[in-house]
Amino acid sequence: MNLEILLSIAFGGAFLTYIFGKISRRLRDFFSVFISLILTIFLSYFYGKFEVVPYFSFLGIPLILRINTLSWFFAITIQLITTFSVIFSLSYMKEKERLDFYYFMMLLVNAGMLGIVLAADLLSFYIFWEIMSWSAFLLISYNRGTALEAGMKYIVMSIIGSMCMLVAMISLYTNYGTLNISQISSQISSASSGYILFIFILLLVAFGIKNATWPFHTWLPPAHSEAPSPFSAVLSGILVRMGMYGFLIIFYVILGLKLFLNLGKGLCSFHYILAWVGAINIVIPTFIAMFQNDSKRLLAWHGIGQGGYMVLGIAIGTSLGIVGGIFHIVNHTSYIALLFLVVGAIEYRTKGVRDLNSLGGLIKKMPITFLGALVGACGLIGVPLTNGFVSKWLIYKTLILKGYSFLAFAALIGTWGTILSLYKFIHNIFLGQLPEKYKDIEKAPFSMQFPIIILSLIIILFGILPGIPLKVVNSIGVSFGFKSLDVNIWGIISETGILNLVNIFTAILVSLIFFWIIFRSGAERVKILQDNSYAAGSYIPKDKYNYTVEFYQPLFRMIKPYFRDFIDEFYSKIVETGRRLSDRIRKVYCGDLGYYVTYIVLFLAILIAIKLWGKIW
Amino acid sequence: MNPVLLIVIPLGFAFFIPLLGFISRKAEKFIPSLALLINIILSLSLLPSVMRKPIIVLLGGFPPPFCINLFVGPVGVIFSLIIAIVGFLVSIYAWSYIGGDGKREEKYHMLYLLLLAGATGVVLTGDIFNLFVFYEILCISSYALVAYLGEKAGVESASKYLIQGSVGSTLILIAIGLLYGQFGTLNMADIAQNINTINPLHLFIPLVLLLTGLGVEAAIFPLNAWLPDAHSSAPSTISAILSGIAIKIGIYAMARVVFTIFGAYQILLFLILLGVITLLVGELSAFSQNNIKRMLAYSSIGQMGLILLALSIGTVEGISSGLFQIFTHAFSKSLLFLAAGYMIYQAGSLKISSLEGMGKKMPLSSLAFSIGAFSLIGLPPFMGFGSKFMIIRSLLEKGNSLFTTLAGIVLVGTVIEGAYFFKVIQRLYFKETAESEGGVKEAPVGALLPMIFLVVLIISIGVYPKMITGILNSCAGELLNRLEYIKAVFGG
Repeated sequence: MNLEILLSIAFGGAFLTYIFGKISRRLRDFFSVFISLILTIFLSYFYGKFEVVPYFSFLGIPLILRINTLSWFFAITIQLITTFSVIFSLSYMKEKERLDFYYFMMLLVNAGMLGIVLAADLLSFYIFWEIMSWSAFLLISYNRGTALEAGMKYIVMSIIGSMCMLVAMISLYTNYGTLNISQISSQISSASSGYILFIFILLLVAFGIKNATWPFHTWLPPAHSEAPSPFSAVLSGILVRMGMYGFLIIFYVILGLKLFLNLGKGLCSFHYILAWVGAINIVIPTFIAMFQNDSKRLLAWHGIGQGGYMVLGIAIGTSLGIVGGIFHIVNHTSYIALLFLVVGAIEYRTKGVRDLNSLGGLIKKMPITFLGALVGACGLIGVPLTNGFVSKWLIYKTLILKGYSFLAFAALIGTWGTILSLYKFIHNIFLGQLPEKYKDIEKAPFSMQFPIIILSLIIILFGILPGIPLKVVNSIGVSFGFKSLDVNIWGIISETGILNLVNIFTAILVSLIFFWIIFRSGAERVKILQDNSYAAGSYIPKDKYNYTVEFYQPLFRMIKPYFRDFIDEFYSKIVETGRRLSDRIRKVYCGDLGYYVTYIVLFLAILIAIKLWGKIW
Repeated sequence: MNPVLLIVIPLGFAFFIPLLGFISRKAEKFIPSLALLINIILSLSLLPSVMRKPIIVLLGGFPPPFCINLFVGPVGVIFSLIIAIVGFLVSIYAWSYIGGDGKREEKYHMLYLLLLAGATGVVLTGDIFNLFVFYEILCISSYALVAYLGEKAGVESASKYLIQGSVGSTLILIAIGLLYGQFGTLNMADIAQNINTINPLHLFIPLVLLLTGLGVEAAIFPLNAWLPDAHSSAPSTISAILSGIAIKIGIYAMARVVFTIFGAYQILLFLILLGVITLLVGELSAFSQNNIKRMLAYSSIGQMGLILLALSIGTVEGISSGLFQIFTHAFSKSLLFLAAGYMIYQAGSLKISSLEGMGKKMPLSSLAFSIGAFSLIGLPPFMGFGSKFMIIRSLLEKGNSLFTTLAGIVLVGTVIEGAYFFKVIQRLYFKETAESEGGVKEAPVGALLPMIFLVVLIISIGVYPKMITGILNSCAGELLNRLEYIKAVFGG
């Protein structure tokens, strides 16, 4: 059993799904789930294995696959999320059209991502990267309408990123004669620091765009909100994090710990600047998220914001930080995917409503979905007993230990923003009053509830027993050259204290039971209906109780003048200039033959003039 | 097997077509395909032996430089192979695409074969005047073919093309005259041999005249003003041939003149600059274009810029990457034009907006279009990726910051290209149309087959670029090694 077979199953399965779709819908649905499950099982078999397989040669460059802890960790995350969203799609996408194409692309994106993390050389990395990029483009555009513009924005930025990567890759190839990542990393230490910086910045742009790191984030909010929800889960959960994987590869595999930390000096030291970029990424997007009224757009901005925590974690370059950063990647994947699936379930039942102002009170109608949303939101905020808490704790700890108080403060502010915006999210969808038109809404079908339940359980499980994933994460850190952390199944022992989540869990459980007993033994319960509330003596129309529109309005009014995405405006201006330039240049081809002939004669004349006077050649 | 057949067969069959019309009118459309199929087989069978040693064919039995000789080297054969493959596939497409309204179309098929015979002649000949003659056959038949539909736009753009092309041809003719005056010979190898005996300043004028004249056909900025009009108003099969083949012949002739005849390496930098400008102008012009064929035509200009740039790098890697890009562009662009052809026919309009929703109505054509576009942008695993990769590599291998900047500019061009192609793809697949009533059908099988074949070629070369890189390297060797060329012609 080896990696080639794995990838061939991934790619072949995608194609077969398409072909089966032409035969029968059921076969296709069954097969797409089957392929995802097979791949999951296959991947879990690779746990703890190391393998390097050369599989092809392109233009004389050997293409190699490899698996190690890092890539296994990412691969299994990718595969799980894809599996969940494929299962979710079964009912979500049921009534839509062109499903063969949808499942095909979904599995192709998955295969592309698996290829990325399994690639041992930059060329295969690039090839899989591109396959992932254009298939994601096709999926983002799937919903039509405004999705088209979102798709364009995504693909243009994505191409820019890929082009940067291409230059960096080929430049490395011409200098070192190899694209094998480990061979490059052993040779690059002898390169001049200018050259390293050149490569580093190119790759930073390439991965930063995919990771939607500020200031390259502008494609993400529209793309995430316009894509079909199960794909949004994949997109926000893991596809974007391929950028993080890329960061890890350049920082700690290609450059290596020492070289990375020594890049630049003092305040200009590169990893410190990056940490600040991470901090900006945390603060701005989470507060923008607060004011979004589109549920998916709200989550999308959190996708950018949480990316900031990861960058912060891995940029600091201590063992605690790297473990926190990588752990945050997988945690983020689990809860953001969960939240997108929740939104998808709501969308499915309300016939595509994402506007937070027109939802409400769905808690009784869709209880499981609500629980999923609650767990997901707690994870995103970082409430103890969810996995988000552990990774955030690690990142805070790192910042405090390093004495970066401002960075720690930024991370903290980000959490406030997260709490505020997710409160809005939960309140406007599930709490408050149920609008009249959603009276007969049903709960989500099982194939939607199943991934929601499993993901919620994962979040809680990793929150109480973080040692399960942390062990793997820790060994990734060790493979980067960090010293090993003392990780236990129940938490972590660091030089400044012990994090024991089982103890916290027990404490909370005990106190909950305690209060429950007190309340039970107290007075009898009285049930108060939702519309039986104080209304200053006057009659209020039934629909207006506990109904929220434009949450955080006063706050929003305060910051409104500054509430603009300057970067997005800047990019739009560039595109606009390009378009105007294009129209102007096309005027060269004016249609007048006289001019055309003049061009020919003038060209000749200029050539001769250059020769006679300029003596250029 | 005699390589002369490569020229003689299409030429002879071309004149045979009107005669055949007396016997059977149905058969005439199959003649071009037959002739070109023979050419494919011939080129393929010649390829291995030519790779070892070029074949010199003497016409008339005199030794060179007194006779017209054909120089059948790797470059010539590979070009005639591209011509034959693309020509063959397009001719199959034309079975159903051309005619159909009861008119006789023997003119079309005859001119079509003449065009390709001219193109094959240009790439195989070893005599500069002979090159000019074939070049004119190519040009004149393409003028006529652009106007073939007889519509106002077609006739107008054909006459514009005719005038600009004639200015170009005149310049070439003057240059050949000057060369003949100076060297007393028209044999390319002979001129190349004696090129250093002449005052460089006297050489310069013919060189510049040749570059300008050939540049018109090669669509170099600012000599390419005919191209958007001609490509967009010709029938789609002809657009495919013009974009896929005709303009490549111009660039081939330029390369032959610069590398083999003049050995003028000092102007390469200038040509690179020209290539960059052409690239940017072409891509930018295509960017906000809303006529699909015009967009493809402008994109051809951009691609020609890229090819010129790559060829002018002047290293073995550079030239072979340029030749690779010629391959890519010939296949991808003709695929794009062919796929667009029936879509336009069904939609009844050239507007990109009228192609909305074609992904559903004409799934295979749309798929072919998308693959052509992906390949031109340079996305793996399609053919364009290999060539773009090689171009960037040969630019960066120069190791100098100028060339690194150039690589950056090339990639800016790619970004623009990606933007407009992806926009069209989105419209094909993800836009609903108001009128979704019947009437729009998939292209007929005869038209789909060549598209599918091109798709297969694009993907298989994209995955196994090794199939052609070896050949391309020896082509680059032939272009760079003038002494070998001279030696081959004069037999040591």
